[in-house]
This record gives sequence, structure tokens and C-alpha cells, in this order.
Amino acid sequence: GACRVSMSMTEIRAGFTAIKANIQSRDPIRTLSILSHPHSLHKVKSSDRCCITYQLFTFYVDKVFKHCRTEDSFVNRKISSIANSFLSTRRKLGQCHEQNNCMCGEESTEKLKQILANYEGLNVTSAAMKSLGELDILLDWMEKSR
Amino acid sequence: DALLPAPQSISILSTNMKHFLTWSPVIVQGETVRYSVEFQGEYEREYANGSWIPISECSLTTATICNLTEDISASVAYKLRVRAELGATRSQWGTTKGFFNRAMTSLTPPQLRAVADGHHLLVELADMGPSFQFRVLYWRKGQETRVQQKVLREVSSVVHLDTMEAGAEYCVKAQTHVQAINRSSSFSPTQCVRAQGDKSMWLV
Amino acid sequence: SGELYCSLPNPRNVRFESVNMKNVLHWSAPEGTGDGVFYKVKYAVYGVGKWIRKPECKNINRTWCDLSNETSDYEEQYYASVKAFLNGACSDWMETTRFNPLTDTKIDPPMVSVSSTDRSISIVLTAPEKWKRSPEEESISLLQVYPGLQYNVSVLNKKTKKRWFFSISNNTLVVPWLEPGTAYCVSAQIHVPTPVLDSGYSK
Repeated sequence: GACRVSMSMTEIRAGFTAIKANIQSRDPIRTLSILSHPHSLHKVKSSDRCCITYQLFTFYVDKVFKHCRTEDSFVNRKISSIANSFLSTRRKLGQCHEQNNCMCGEESTEKLKQILANYEGLNVTSAAMKSLGELDILLDWMEKSR
Repeated sequence: DALLPAPQSISILSTNMKHFLTWSPVIVQGETVRYSVEFQGEYEREYANGSWIPISECSLTTATICNLTEDISASVAYKLRVRAELGATRSQWGTTKGFFNRAMTSLTPPQLRAVADGHHLLVELADMGPSFQFRVLYWRKGQETRVQQKVLREVSSVVHLDTMEAGAEYCVKAQTHVQAINRSSSFSPTQCVRAQGDKSMWLV
Repeated sequence: SGELYCSLPNPRNVRFESVNMKNVLHWSAPEGTGDGVFYKVKYAVYGVGKWIRKPECKNINRTWCDLSNETSDYEEQYYASVKAFLNGACSDWMETTRFNPLTDTKIDPPMVSVSSTDRSISIVLTAPEKWKRSPEEESISLLQVYPGLQYNVSVLNKKTKKRWFFSISNNTLVVPWLEPGTAYCVSAQIHVPTPVLDSGYSK
């Protein structure tokens, strides 16, 4: 179902753009992606989009942000801003998730399993930093499919 | 540390999505007391062991005000704290009572100037930052039931609203809308101007 | 072939320069090296396990390499890398930052065509096209790439020097009731709200 969270996306995008170069430079692994391989998010069926979006926000809130503390105060403040925006956006998505009865199809369940497997395949700090550096992959997919 | 009292009268002033923490100065005769400010969002409370994040611009500052706008950038409940520092001595933290959510900000009507340029009705609005949209209502005087609306996102200069019938008087008013908190300000006072054909009249 | 003796200073400032998703790798020659330096280029799709050599940019002495073809899928992200050679010595591979064609490209201003009657002007705006391999290939407007794309239009009365702004989502604008015999200058800009991308104003 359509869940309008556009303004939060703009703010999350602005926060991420401010630290993108810093965060991505901390991820030396070019040959592995948490979100986009082996199957791109763009291949997800539209009926599964609502469910995957909610699950991915939960993934970032529960697993990623807490392991992204850096020595840079500016970066930490932007990560906090993104994390808190994710929390409020997930709350809206949660309401929409219930109202629209977003069902998780077999394909999206498989996609989420793949993402968690990619994540668990690395040590937690590398996995968290790589996931944070891939935020634009999530944002691009959400905005394209709006 | 108990020798240095914690800052008191800690409060947040928030207008038009600009948020400031203020507190009373801690007075120590002949000394310059400095202050440090930290914030904690709902994420830090619920998922990061209640951690606090320092605001570097307000670390060891002599001011008794701190701009929180860049850090209070999500619609969740925040807590703020400030402590006094004198050399190696630090006071206890003084913490805001209750929580602050940016949805509590007070919104003031936009500053608006209606302009008639020949047959064209234009409006000039003061820029208020990326969080703001402007809902502009305009109508021909005497036809209050046929109000038209334009939503403007970024206002860089004189924005064209519509064309006017010769000699007719048109009125304009506007309110701000902040999508992030889904709230609007009250309307600005109405301004009316007359299309070409008569001396332009300003009604206050 | 085995790698040569790699003590040459590295190419500098290796980066993508992208306009309308024409994605060209650029770099500066290694410090202190005159003529005679040659370069090799490779690229990788982020998250895919291999680097791919670019044959057309093997042993070149220019300091750019067009990778538009290899980076045309804007749902992917990329890295590129350059190595320098001189008199039997070589440099390290020097990489770009991660390149996201969707957010890291610049957009040209729209094409503006204006027609007028004695009291009005009609403006038609055309968004630039995404880079394509050949003229025969189907054109993709940046409007399709960025669905939220809008136009900011400025109309300047040359007599009164007053400038009006319009913000429109469709690509046509008619401005009636103008002063006869007066010159009006029209210029337009593309604004993409998210990801935030703004073109310059057209001439």
C-alpha cells in the first residue's frame, strides 16, 4: 500500500549525503553488498514493497545504527539524526503496515533472509558500517518506487 | 564536582523549527565558567543504552544558549542536558524536565508582500528554510467565495500568482506548512493590491 | 603478466565527472612526471566480485576515460581505478570513491523555446536526455529518471528590470497580459527535490 513518508526521506537523504564519503571510505570491501546482491532491491515485486520497506527499517534500527559509533563528533551526530528519523519513519510505516495489511510474500522473505545472511557474513562493525554506507541504495529504491 | 552547582532554569525555545537550549549562568566570582551540552534522542534511549551525544559547538562554551536545530532533526522525543565546567571541576548535569519534540515548535505567519505589476499579481515571501512550504490564498475582492490557492516550496524572489482583470482589486494571504511535523501557522494579515488602470493601493 | 616495479607516484584526484549520466573518469598525472606516462583503467560494479579492465583505455596517455557505457545502469553503483606506467616503473591502483550515477550526476539546464503574440509569451521546456550509446538508441528523458522533476522559470521585463519566478511541474507555461513592445528574457532551471539536484539556469 502507499505509505507517504516523503518529508522524512528528504531529511534522511540530507543527513546521509553529509556523511556519505566518510562512511563509505570506512568500507574497504568492494566485492560484497548487503542490500543489492545477489538480487537487487529493484527486482522486488510492488506488492512486497510495503513489507520489505518496514522490515528494512527495522533491520537498520535494531541491528545497524548502534554499531556505527565513530571517533568523529559530526558523523556521530548525523548518524543519531538518521537513526531517530528512521525510528519515527518506522512508526509511521508500522501504522501503514497494519492498516494496509502488508503481506510479506515468499520472494520478499527470501530477499530479507539474503540481506541478513550478507550482514552476518561479516564482523558486526564492518557489516554495520557497510549497511550504513548503502543507505542511498535503500533511499534510491524507495524514491523510485514511490 | 559538587562545589560547582549545576545550571538551572534550563529550557528550550523553539520557533519556526529553530530550536535553542538556554539556561541561567553559574556565577563564580572572578572566574569564567564554561558549559557543555549533550542531547539524547529516542533512539539513544531505546536502542543505544541511553547514551548521550555531545554538541561540539556548545562544548566548553561561555554562552548560556546553544543552537540545537541541526541535531533535533527527527520527530521523536529528545532530552537535553548541560553542565558547568571550571578548569577540571565539573558540575552535575542539569537536564530538561520532560521531553522535547520538534512538533512542539511555534509557527509564526510568513512575512508576505503582495505586488501588482501591470495585470500580474505577484507575491514576495521571506525564505524560512528547507522545512517550510507556503500556502498562498488569493481572490478578487468581493468574490471571497472563489479563493484560489498556490503551494510554494522554495521562494527565492517575486513569485507569480496569476493575472488580474484590469482595474480590479485582489487580496492575498499566506500561511506556512511544515510537512515534517504536519502543522501549519496561522495566516498572515491580508494584503490587497489593484491591477493596472488605477494607482496601486495598499490596505493594511 | 607480472606486475612491474611499482615505485612510480600515483595518479591523483581520480574521480568521476558526470553530466546527464555521461560518466567520464578523470585523473591528474602523478606528481613530478613529465610526458611519457601511460595508464590502465579498470572498473567494478559495487557488490560484484570482480574488477573489469577497460580495453579502450589500456596504455593511453590521456588523463580521462569514458565509462558511460559500463556505468549506464543507474540502479547500480561503481568504483573505477587507474594505474600509471613510466619507463618500466608503475604506480599503485588509485580508486574513485563509490559512484552513484543517480545522485552523483550533474543535470544540464532544460531547453527553452519561446513564442510570443503581441501580448503574451508561450514557453515550452524540454528536459535533457540521459546519455545514450548511439543516436539510434532509444532516448530516455531525465524526466523518466527523476519523476519528481520540476522547472523553475524566470521571466525578466527588460524595461522595468523586474523579474518574476514560476515553479511548474509540467513543461509548458503561458504568460498573458504582457506589455506590448517590451522585451522579456526567459530562463529556466531544473529542480529535482529528492535526491536534491539542481541544474544551472539556461542562457
